[in-house]
Amino acid sequence: MKSHQVINLRHLTPSAYIIRLEKKNFTFKTGQYITLGFSGSIDRREYSIYSAEQDDYIEVLIKDVENGLLSKKLKKCKPGDMLDIDGAFGHFSLKDDEVKNKKFMFICTGTGISPVHSFIHTHPEMDYTLLHGIRHKEEAYEKETYDSNRYVLCTSGENTGDFNGRVTEYLLKNPVSPDTICYLCGNCHMIYEAYDILEKQGVKLGPIHTEVYF
Amino acid sequence: MKTIAFKTLGCRLNQYETDALASQFQNNNYKLVDFDEEADVYVINTCTVTHQSDHKSRNFINQITKRHKDSILVVTGCMADNAKDELESKDEINYVLENDNKSALFSLVEAHFNGEIKHTDQLNKDRFDYGSTEKGFHTRSMIKIQDGCDNFCTFCIIPSVRGRAKSRPFQDIIDNIQSVIDGGAKEVIITGVNIGRYEYEDYKFDDLVEAILNLDGDFRLRISSLEPDGFGDKFLGLLSHPKMTPHLHLCLQSGSDKLLLGMRRMYTIKTFKDTVEKVRAIRPDFNFTTDMIIGFPGESETDFTDSCNMIQDMQFGHVHTFKYSIRKGTRAERMPDQIPEKLKTERSAILRDIAEACKLKYRSQFVGKTQRVLVENINGNIGRGYGEHYIPVQFEAENLKQNTFYDVTIKKIHTDKDILLIGELI
Repeated sequence: MKSHQVINLRHLTPSAYIIRLEKKNFTFKTGQYITLGFSGSIDRREYSIYSAEQDDYIEVLIKDVENGLLSKKLKKCKPGDMLDIDGAFGHFSLKDDEVKNKKFMFICTGTGISPVHSFIHTHPEMDYTLLHGIRHKEEAYEKETYDSNRYVLCTSGENTGDFNGRVTEYLLKNPVSPDTICYLCGNCHMIYEAYDILEKQGVKLGPIHTEVYF
Repeated sequence: MKTIAFKTLGCRLNQYETDALASQFQNNNYKLVDFDEEADVYVINTCTVTHQSDHKSRNFINQITKRHKDSILVVTGCMADNAKDELESKDEINYVLENDNKSALFSLVEAHFNGEIKHTDQLNKDRFDYGSTEKGFHTRSMIKIQDGCDNFCTFCIIPSVRGRAKSRPFQDIIDNIQSVIDGGAKEVIITGVNIGRYEYEDYKFDDLVEAILNLDGDFRLRISSLEPDGFGDKFLGLLSHPKMTPHLHLCLQSGSDKLLLGMRRMYTIKTFKDTVEKVRAIRPDFNFTTDMIIGFPGESETDFTDSCNMIQDMQFGHVHTFKYSIRKGTRAERMPDQIPEKLKTERSAILRDIAEACKLKYRSQFVGKTQRVLVENINGNIGRGYGEHYIPVQFEAENLKQNTFYDVTIKKIHTDKDILLIGELI
């Protein structure tokens, strides 16, 4: 575990924010996560890495949750504060040989877009479609950083996105080609439902990758 | 001659580490005695995977501190990592040795008898620096290939106490295994926390297994507990190798996809079934055993029924059931819908009955067939050991030798205590 200095905080909505930390000699594979906590504290939480492999900083996207132990404290971080990072962990990763010649579908909800942001910004040349499910349009975190032709915003709480409804409803109406490599990241229910839908659409199980957010 | 007694709780990896440590002490003129006997040194190699393991570990610590106040007591293992401060606050415990330092137990005890107190900073921290297990407690030779886990399943404390996944150098393992085979070992078990994720330089788990199977010698290879992810078709192909035992302990944990997601497991029921079906298409009597967690947060009646059905569908040879218990610091600790203890107990009983019925059905198919039994215990003319499918077999013969293979025809099954196959020497 190593201490990293906070560079800045970027507030995206009243509850969601991005912490940027110095990178030092930290290395990771895009899609992986870290555990984060204040230096010296035993309280730690897991966050997917938002930034790209080649960035010279580390970013994590955090949403503060009601009764959350750490997310509310982290929101009060100031530049210069020290946070402990452990990791990187996880196997939610792209395969090098697939990145250049395969078609990808990223399906995520809420802050589950974090590792997908890292995927796309690490490999901007990828052939991908990004399906982001949220309730309200302000949760479309940094949507301007994605290619608008590849980004589909699904809003379930209001008709302000590209599609009015959940990502699973979008998938039912817009079947995915079976040769697509799918990555699912978000809450259990979305993954559970989307997985079933994709399987019925003929996407083989092997290429579906999941990361659960709680 | 000084005496030493060990008590080991928990997983195969702990058993391996105790075996290796016990061998080291014996090789250095210590006498190994039973844990109930008087000893100069007591070592408790603890486990902390459930509340029950914590409870058992504490009970053994209390036993020694009450009965053998003048002996040296060393507490090591995962509880030593997870409850270090609590254990160190007990004056009756002489040393609390975390997993990182466990392999240095001998030097710590030796230093103590030489009047020197070693701080843990002065101890070796190599997680693979264990000697051979030839004088340990088991006939089968366990070989540690990996330690730690990066999977972070939401219920599991092990990544916090065993640390990051680390693989032992490939050639070290091969040399170690060749040396135990040359020394007479007939069954090698490779063990670790998450061995399917073995990765050292360009070698993955299946490369390692292939290299072990290609070693010379009259031995068979057994794989300890394996996660149902991280291995592919190459590994499944190796299961047909003549030296590979037809048994895998694949940890399922739940028969519900919804709960598997909540546990952050990296497979689905379908992928698990596919694996079992692929293997049994080649070898229909292949023994799959598993672990199941009962009462994970949010487990509905439907989820539980799915788990029961899955046991029947997969015809597991054995199911190790655990009632879910909250482990502090894990993600599942903060999950809503925790299941009441009473319901967990009721469900455990139901699931155990189903598992026992499956075990009997599975083992019954061996009557009339042959098993190659590695004899571990001999009592007069009665020999007992495990067949290649990891099922206990008992048979009668004269001049039996321990650590020797015997081909036995299975004649019947005893169901008194455990489900035991009774055979006749061919």
